[in-house]
Order: sequence, then structure tokens, then C-alpha cells
Amino acid sequence: MRWAAAGAGGVVLLCWPLLVPPYFVFLTSLIVVNAIVAIGLNLLSGYTNQLSFGHAGFFAVGAYVAAVLTLRAPALPVVATLALAGLATALVGLALGIPCLRLEGLYLAMATLAFGFVVVEAILNLDWLTRGNDGLAVPAARLGPLALGSDAAKYYLVLGVGALMVAAAVNIARTRTGRALLAIRESEIAAQASGVHLAAYKTLAFAVSAFYTGVAGGLFAFVVGFISPDAFDVFLSVDFVAMIIVGGLGSIPGSIVGAAVITLLYDWLAAFQNYRPLLFGLILIGCMLFMPGGIASRMAKWTHQAQ
Amino acid sequence: MTTTALVHVVVSGLATGSIYALMAISLVIIYNATRTLNFAQGEMLMISTFVGWSAHEALRLPLPLVLVIAVVAAAALGWLVERLVIRHAIAATHLDVLIITLGLSLVLRAAAGLVWTHDEFPFPSFFRERPIGLGPLRVAPVSLGIIGGSLALMLALAALFRWTRLGRAMRAVAQNQRAARLMGISVERVYSASWVLAAVVGAIAGVLIAPVIFLSSKMGLVAINGFTAAVLGGFGSMPGAVVGGMLLGVLENLAPLWLPAGIKHSVPFLLMIAILVIRPSGVLGRVRQRKV
Repeated sequence: MRWAAAGAGGVVLLCWPLLVPPYFVFLTSLIVVNAIVAIGLNLLSGYTNQLSFGHAGFFAVGAYVAAVLTLRAPALPVVATLALAGLATALVGLALGIPCLRLEGLYLAMATLAFGFVVVEAILNLDWLTRGNDGLAVPAARLGPLALGSDAAKYYLVLGVGALMVAAAVNIARTRTGRALLAIRESEIAAQASGVHLAAYKTLAFAVSAFYTGVAGGLFAFVVGFISPDAFDVFLSVDFVAMIIVGGLGSIPGSIVGAAVITLLYDWLAAFQNYRPLLFGLILIGCMLFMPGGIASRMAKWTHQAQ
Repeated sequence: MTTTALVHVVVSGLATGSIYALMAISLVIIYNATRTLNFAQGEMLMISTFVGWSAHEALRLPLPLVLVIAVVAAAALGWLVERLVIRHAIAATHLDVLIITLGLSLVLRAAAGLVWTHDEFPFPSFFRERPIGLGPLRVAPVSLGIIGGSLALMLALAALFRWTRLGRAMRAVAQNQRAARLMGISVERVYSASWVLAAVVGAIAGVLIAPVIFLSSKMGLVAINGFTAAVLGGFGSMPGAVVGGMLLGVLENLAPLWLPAGIKHSVPFLLMIAILVIRPSGVLGRVRQRKV
């Protein structure tokens, strides 16, 4: 039954560009990109309790690395570009994560928030590379002789990479590493007492989370085709946090659902720009007060009752 | 650079620094009571300043009365927020409350945008902008006014914490909540009082700084520098908040003289990351031992 449902879902996702108009294909690509970020952020916040308000910074690093690589080295296949974007971001994540190990809770939140601001300033100042405020037009991704220019082609790229990242995340949760991360989430002290190397795993979580977000940033650059620093402001970091709060901390399906909900709301409210933060703020408050586990815990409760 | 110019830069740095110090104090007041960070502090400052400004525009009230209105509005807002939202999240973790105040900051800013638009407005000032001669030095009265006003407020707060019943209760709750409750202190009332007091300090800071940075829905971002100031001085410590604020204000004004212009805006953030990494307990803070 579960496999049949998953198979049907997979077929629908594969045929999606044939079923709906291009704009919805674009929107679905964005949802998948955001879902990758949400999963990455959840690996950090949901599993190791390190809340980050700076993931827009990682997202920007990934997007700019991918864009600059595509502009300067057009022959590079898109898979290599994305991998490099992810690795570069993971390095930045390590550089931020190691000193931040000593911080917890509020301090970490503020340090990552500051990191987000610094990244935007850095992009503005490296204008020989990033063209500062003017932004960069990103050429179509290339896969050998193929140029992935159409919405559908970009969608398949995003979907393929997204499926890989989701599969990897699900499997991380099942490995020794994943169990260590879960143990840290339940109780840092108990985990440490059971022989989990806290510092190593927290740093690892930071790097993996940055890797996910960097790859998603690269995909974002290709999907949207144009990037500029103002797209990566602190409010984007808040949106990412909103995704995992709405979806549910520490849940991979929750991350995907949260990313979908926030992305769709964002799109529907495009005409009501002034009301959007109002609604997002109310959603954040409402979730914390009335639904602390997010949609994922609600779904778990329903399926439990149904049985 | 001449001494005169240096003095001018340092004095205006101290002026912005006093505002950062006030923001830091209001963050620390709430932190000491509830062990959480109020992300909406800047937005509460912005709303109360806007309320005062509206009263000024509508009724042509004199400035001291505007200040009173802003303070009353802030007190009401602080009380409402604590009573209607934060109190209901009493079982939540500190991070949960952090996210709630984050949501609150989004809501307040959007609401201000709907009511007052996102434009910038000039705000009347108690003090004049034109520099006056003070012996061989030239200083802007507005800088001196902000410094003086802030110092007066800080002294009043110090007196409140030291000599009043409420102040003692707040210090007790900051030290040990359970013990404070056992001594018959109503911790809930201290929560309420902390939010009200923090909001009031914010409103006064808002009225002082609005003539300089203009009144706008974005002015709440000044609270981020308040956090940096608090971290710089050692989060949780009141004297630390003051020292941190002043230090940050002066450094921020001096940094562009030696550093490339591009990183001027990053100075507070880089400073915050540096302090958090090198000495998380701040300049005056003590390392807190945590028991399991």
C-alpha cells in the first residue's frame, strides 16, 4: 500500500511538467529547492538543537558559487557545479560551525543572524566577482551537450537532485551518525555520557546542513536565472525557520510539507506584500502556542488515531 | 586627523552608543526575568515612537507630552504582549519563546507598515543639530542631549533596581527563580513588570534617537546593535550593557576612519561574532556554571 502510493506519487511528479502550466512547474521547482534547505536546516536545528538564523547566508554562498562557476567555467557539467557549490558552502559552514560550538541557544541564534548580514555585505563588496547590487544573470545549466533552459528541464534537474538529497537525509537518520544526532537532540548530556562525541557531531551537522543549503542555493540560481544580494536578506532566513517550525522540527516529511506550505503561501500572497510578514508572524506564533510539533506531529497523531 | 574632529566623532559615537546601551538594557531586563531574548524589542520601540508621533501630528502636543504618550503606549504594549502571548507559552523552551518573539517582530513591523506606511518621517527633537562651540571643541547639542538623557534614565533604573521592592524582586528572580518564589515573590508579576519596564526604556530610547535616524518601520533594527552591545558587555549584566553599548557606538564611528568603507555596516556583526567566539561571557560578564 505504501509502496503503491509512493509509486503513484513518483509517476505524478515525473509527469508533472506535462500536466500543469509552466508557472506551476517553476513553483514546484522552488518548493523542492526550499525543501532541500528545510531538510538541511532541520538536520541542524531539529537534530542537534542548534537554531540558525543565518541559512540565507549559506543559501547565498551556494547560489553565488554556482552562478560564478557557470559564468567563468561554462564547460563544467551542472552536477559538478552543484557539488562544488555544496562543498564550498560546507567549508563556510565548518568555518562558522567550529567557533560556534561553544555557543548555545540564544548566542548561536544571534551569531548566525550576524553571519547572514556579513554574507550579504561581503557579496556587495566583492563586486568584481558578484557585480554587487546589480546582481548576476545566471546562464542555463549545462549537462554535456544539453542546455537546461526550459522550466521543465530545470524542474527535472531540481527533482533529481532533490530526490538524492531526501534519500541521503532519510538514510543519515538510520545510520550510526543519525542515531548520534538523534541522541544529541533528546539530551546532550545523556548522549555525551553514552560516548557520543558532541563537538564532532555538532560540527558535522553544521557542515552537512551547510552542504544541503549550498546545493539548494545553486539550484535556486539556475531555477530563477538571476540572483542579487537583496534576495538573501535576513527575512529569507526567517522563512527557512518558519518552514521547519510549520513542518515540524526533526522530521524530514515535515520539512518537505513545511517548505511547500510556506512557498505556496509566499506565492499566493505576492499581491499582498504588506500582509505577508503579518501572516507569517502570526503563523510562527500560532505554531509555537498551539502546535509545537508542527504539521508532522499532527499527521503522526492522526495516523495513530486512525489505526 | 585633528583632536577636534576626533572628539566630535567620539561624542557622536557615545550618543549612538547610549541608545545601544538602552536597547541592551531593555533586552537584559527581559532576559534576566524570563531567560529569553526578545526579538521584538526594536519593533516595540518603533511602535511606541510612532504612537507618540501620531499624537504630535494630530494634536500638536508639546514634545514632553509626546514622550509621556510614547511611554504609556509602550507600557501598554509590553503588558499586553506578555499577558496575551508570552504567558501562554510558559511551558515552552527558551528557543520556542525566541521564535514567538521573532513572529511578533514580523507582525508588529507589518502592522506599523499598514498603519503608518513604510516611509521615513522626520521626528521633532528636544535638541538642535547644529554644533556649538565648547571651548576649542565643537559638539552637536543633540549628541549631548542623547547622552545626558540616557545617563539620567540609566541612573533612574539603577536606583529602581537597588532601592525599590520591585527592583529587589526582579534581581531575586534573575538570580534564582525558585528561591524567589519560595520567598513569596510573585514571579509572574515580575515577568509582567520586566516586559513593561523594558518597553518603557525602549520608548524613551526611541524618542531620543528618532530625530537622528528618522522614524520608520525599519528603525527597530537598532535592537540588533543592542544585542551586540549586551553581548559585548556580558549578557545579563546591566553595567556590562552600558559599557558594551558605549564601546560599540564609539568603535562603530571610529572604524570607518581606518577600515575600508565597504565593511562599515558589518562592524557590529563582525564584532559580535568575534566576541562570541573569543569571550562569550563578554567584557564584564562572569562565566556561568551550569548544573545538570
